[in-house]
Amino acid sequence: MAKTYDYLFKLLLIGDSGVGKTCVLFRFSEDAFNTTFISTIGIDFKIRTIDLDGKKIKLQIWDTAGQERFRTITTAYYRGAMGIMLVYDITNEKSFENIKNWIRNIEENASADVEKMLLGNKCELEDKRQVSKERGEQLAIEYGIKFIETSAKNSIRVEDAFFTLARDIKAKMEKKLEASNPPKGGHQLRPSEPQKKTTSWLSRCTIL
Amino acid sequence: MAHEKDFKEKLIAAVKKEVKQVMEESVTRKFVHEESGSVTSLCGAVEACLSQGLRRRALGLFKTSSTTALLHKIAKHSPEAARISKRVQELENVDNGNRRSSSSSDSLTKPQLKKHASLSSVIAPLPKYLWIRLALFEKQLAKIIDYLVSNANRYYEKDALVADPDYGTILSSLLVGPCALDYTRMRSLDNFCTDPPADELVQRHRISSAGVGGGSTPPSNRRHPMQPNFRRSLNASSEDTLSSSCCSRSSAHQLGIARDYVESLHQNSRATLLFGKNNVTVMPSNASSNVQEPMPGYLSLHQTAHGLTIKWTPNQLMNGFVDETQDKSVYWDYALHVRLDEIVYVHCHQESDTGGTVILVGQDGVQRPPIHFPKGGHMLAFLSCIETGLLPRGRLDPPLWSQRSSGGGAVGKNNNKRRRPLPALAPDTTDTNTETTRDYVFRIIDNSDHTDMPKRTELMDTRAHLGGSLKTRVQLASTSTSSDSSCKSFSIEQQHSASATADEVCSGGVGTPPVACIRAVCDSMKRQIISRAFYGWLAYCRHLSTVRTHLSGLVNANIVLSDERDEQGITEERWSEVCVDGVVSDYAEVYRLTYFGGIAHSLRKEIWPYLLGHYKFGTTQQQRNELAEETKQAYENTMSEWLAVEAIVRQRDKENQAQAHAKLSTGSAASTSVNDNTTPPPPPHSQQEHHLSNEVFEDELLSDDEHESMDEEEEACLTEAQPVKKTRRNTIKYESGDDENEDENEATVAGVTPIGKYDHDDDGEEAQRSPDNREFCCSNIEHEPVNNGESICDYDNDLVNDTVEQNQEQIFPPDDTCYTEEMKDFIHNVIVTNASVDMSNLGGDESRNVGRASGGGNLDAVTEENNSSLDTCIETHGLASPARSACASPASSNGGVYTQELLETFGLNLHRIEKDVQRCDRNYWYFTEKENLDKLRNVMCTYVWEHLDIGYMQGMCDLVAPLLVIFNEESVTYACFCHLMERMVENFPNGQQMDCHFANMRSLIQILDAEMYELMHQHGDYTHFYFCYRWFLLDFKRELVYADVNATWEVIWAAQQVASQHFVLFIALALLETYRDIILSNGMDFTDIIKFFNEMAERHDSKSVLRLARELVLQLQLLIENK
Repeated sequence: MAKTYDYLFKLLLIGDSGVGKTCVLFRFSEDAFNTTFISTIGIDFKIRTIDLDGKKIKLQIWDTAGQERFRTITTAYYRGAMGIMLVYDITNEKSFENIKNWIRNIEENASADVEKMLLGNKCELEDKRQVSKERGEQLAIEYGIKFIETSAKNSIRVEDAFFTLARDIKAKMEKKLEASNPPKGGHQLRPSEPQKKTTSWLSRCTIL
Repeated sequence: MAHEKDFKEKLIAAVKKEVKQVMEESVTRKFVHEESGSVTSLCGAVEACLSQGLRRRALGLFKTSSTTALLHKIAKHSPEAARISKRVQELENVDNGNRRSSSSSDSLTKPQLKKHASLSSVIAPLPKYLWIRLALFEKQLAKIIDYLVSNANRYYEKDALVADPDYGTILSSLLVGPCALDYTRMRSLDNFCTDPPADELVQRHRISSAGVGGGSTPPSNRRHPMQPNFRRSLNASSEDTLSSSCCSRSSAHQLGIARDYVESLHQNSRATLLFGKNNVTVMPSNASSNVQEPMPGYLSLHQTAHGLTIKWTPNQLMNGFVDETQDKSVYWDYALHVRLDEIVYVHCHQESDTGGTVILVGQDGVQRPPIHFPKGGHMLAFLSCIETGLLPRGRLDPPLWSQRSSGGGAVGKNNNKRRRPLPALAPDTTDTNTETTRDYVFRIIDNSDHTDMPKRTELMDTRAHLGGSLKTRVQLASTSTSSDSSCKSFSIEQQHSASATADEVCSGGVGTPPVACIRAVCDSMKRQIISRAFYGWLAYCRHLSTVRTHLSGLVNANIVLSDERDEQGITEERWSEVCVDGVVSDYAEVYRLTYFGGIAHSLRKEIWPYLLGHYKFGTTQQQRNELAEETKQAYENTMSEWLAVEAIVRQRDKENQAQAHAKLSTGSAASTSVNDNTTPPPPPHSQQEHHLSNEVFEDELLSDDEHESMDEEEEACLTEAQPVKKTRRNTIKYESGDDENEDENEATVAGVTPIGKYDHDDDGEEAQRSPDNREFCCSNIEHEPVNNGESICDYDNDLVNDTVEQNQEQIFPPDDTCYTEEMKDFIHNVIVTNASVDMSNLGGDESRNVGRASGGGNLDAVTEENNSSLDTCIETHGLASPARSACASPASSNGGVYTQELLETFGLNLHRIEKDVQRCDRNYWYFTEKENLDKLRNVMCTYVWEHLDIGYMQGMCDLVAPLLVIFNEESVTYACFCHLMERMVENFPNGQQMDCHFANMRSLIQILDAEMYELMHQHGDYTHFYFCYRWFLLDFKRELVYADVNATWEVIWAAQQVASQHFVLFIALALLETYRDIILSNGMDFTDIIKFFNEMAERHDSKSVLRLARELVLQLQLLIENK
């Protein structure tokens, strides 16, 4: 299969069972919603390629089983992940509280510099809300991550969330590349153009 | 000049290569994408050819390196060029952004590599290909170039490639192929970039393998059952030649896959392409009546390790994408596949008006269909390729080239038909003079064979002995056959004279030194072959013993075979034969029939309990009825137990919900003032203790968080609750939630006795603000019937006694309904009391309860702390002593006294079950009804209640559902599910079975499909077969539709007795094998396979998968048995 993208980002959706991880993913990848979703067993992933600043970015988003018992399987996928979406259900206090457990989980299993993001899903159910937006925001601040309230059902800010995460990963990656490469100063002897090309090409190789 | 010629050669070669690439892509991928890299490269190569020698100056095409200007120029004269030119201009006039994306989009897809290429080679910058691209897509490119070639003198220098009489034509004819293709444009950006979905892969596979199995995915059981191991253990190279050699002409279309075949026509690792020519016409010998005249096709000569092979493939197969798939299958019969080994004579007929005809005559004397070459010396080229290809082992007699100079004159005079031996063949049609027909016969001579006859046979013997199916050329007579001999009668008898003629040959063509040389080579080869074969055999034996030791456990030793009738499975009639007077004694027959044919749907309800072990074979109807009654009784009893607990859990949920709402409304204020006592913020920590819903991290919570923070303060709490709590709140930031609950506890406990006092309604918010939290508690209790302390204790006691009694007997005695009713009432009341009692243990008390779980019960704690009337009640009834930890079997429930832990555990299981029941197969008709969902929930809860140590795990619902659909009755479903779970529970995360499955899968694949194993081995991750995870966890329930799940499950159950304890492994393998060609041809890695199978869920052909699985079992059984 030909590689038809510039970057491949592996993302992971985690959170308690029933918070709507699969729905969020389904909304993002197929732009659809289905109330008769079945629980996720094992793992699954969907792919969507997005365009960010002229770069084609293939997002490979892994959907995991929520139940803690299945963590042995899901953690196998933590390692390769470049971005992790922590999802909770705003109508379920418990799922929100478990976010910190999930974060602990990430810290134990994922690579240290993985991009994280907090999603409060089901925000269309305002009347059943148990977790205020402020609390979500506060928790996000506490962990230094971004926060968005989404609704897979009403398609509220789901795209937004994934694009934000992808953009952050891309920025982080490019920053890292820059840091590892000599900055192209004005008084460099060699023409900076080809050199830059080579390095970016190489780095791309490693990413792909 | 020579340099220039080289350059032109290079340019043409580049075009050829790219054309081949594009054609290949079109064959292998069903379509070529417009933005495919190969298209771009082709355009680049064409551009390079066109720019070479262009008369820029004369045409006024300065400055530009592009040929676009040329296009515009010729647009006046060529209608095709005009069309393209117009389109190019249109596109160029569109705004910049669009144009860039259309013309240089490949710079996005193949970013840097492209640029490197453009630096090193002659390929011009990308955007300039626009017109060539368009012309290609519009199928006009060949015509435009044709025009350019025929008018080359106007636009090109004399020495330009386009102006060259040969190269020009070659260039234009090369492009005919790509121009015939259809190019797809991406439908959307996303679509283009997304990996092909499973659908498309399957579809593509069908198309590419058309002609093999009428469009269906062939179960890839192509090999002989015993072959795989052999192939695996022997060297890979011999494997290749084997497989290529068995693709003999007649079987190529049956065995091989079309795509592979077409690919094999190109240069590849196995075979060197010596010669290739398109539009060579052949009149297929086996053509049906509808083929009247010779068909054009692609003739190719390949050299493999094994020898030379001539292939001819009809054009219809080469351009597979043009025709409908159905039509193509016919052409497979026409394709030629001739091994030169089998050919003795090559007859050439040269006629002045055609390019020449070659007829191959086999050693059996049979003529192969005549091959008609187009004009242009192609026949000669073909023959010379054969000659060089035959070297050093064989040669053409008479030699084609060696005596050319001397024989040239002779040729001219030889007009006789089939006059032989001929000294030589005229080298080129252009050189030869006028004459009419010249026919020659060449004999193919195998030198090595002739010189050392005994050795050869010895070698042959060894090979044959070692089981290789290497077909070497049969010794051929080398007597000079008369030209009149009708090759038909030419046969084996001539072999006798072989040794006699050997000398003749030696003295004639080849000298002695080469013979000695060849003998030495043969000797060493012989040794090598023998040692290789030996090591191969050794490896094979070792391998087999490994198989036997490791995999023999996977299948039953005795092989049970099926007969025709078994395919039906258990039908109504069959069942009536087996089940005599309601007694089934021949259980082996039931298992066997089920294994081979499944069970008629109407009988499943009756037979499944047998298969699952709920009913014993040989029982009478009477016995089974009793069992059913008992089962039902036991089930109802268990249910009543957990229903009681459920009510408590619900009660607590309600509180928590109210609390959460309350918190939410004050939440915003709370977040600002963390340490404020009155309006504290929501504390994540304390919440964990009280909320039962959706508890994911249960163990951590109970162990780490609470104990650490609370153990130290336990003592203090016990002695003087109120002040200490305050301190704690201030120190550990235990805020309102905690606080509230503690206050609440007091209130509740106090409120149990004088409960009537609090009869007014209140909502959580108010409760929180109120300094007296009693109101809040009251609001929770008021919904329930009000009891006084005395009655509570009575009920408690009664119930305890009842249950204890019941538990002492293994089988519950059948109670009369009245009794049960009564008991339910009791339970109902007990629930209420317990709700309030247990509420008292919420929050602060919880830690203590957990801490002293082994010592005393909840009530102990309560009684110590509060001298309520409950205290005395419990003491008098002796309830305090039989306290139970959550780990003790909950089945021995002593009526309404539940530890906090038990409540917690069951509560969170309950919530999980509910969550999953709600989304269990809701699309299936049975589960569209609420009533049936409740049944599912009840069965699930009962199981979890009885197996709290296991707890609910996602996937269990999926296992209950099919059973419930079949039985539509809770107690039988429950009983059968318990039996089912005996095996399945090991698959769930806490068991070890899943890892075993993965390991076994790996071994099985290694044994039964070496090729697949290689692929998996390549992608290291494969050692974890996570794509099988769901398959094994749910016995393929999610992979198949309901009807198929039923059929699969019963086969799995029956297989335990008939064929294999691990039949699931073979189903998994069968699934994998069903799609093996797709997996292999797409080089799928781990993630691709996961995606593929997730997308293929519920779309498998279960019948064929099961059949294949049974075959695989048999295959392994035979393998193990075959000592």
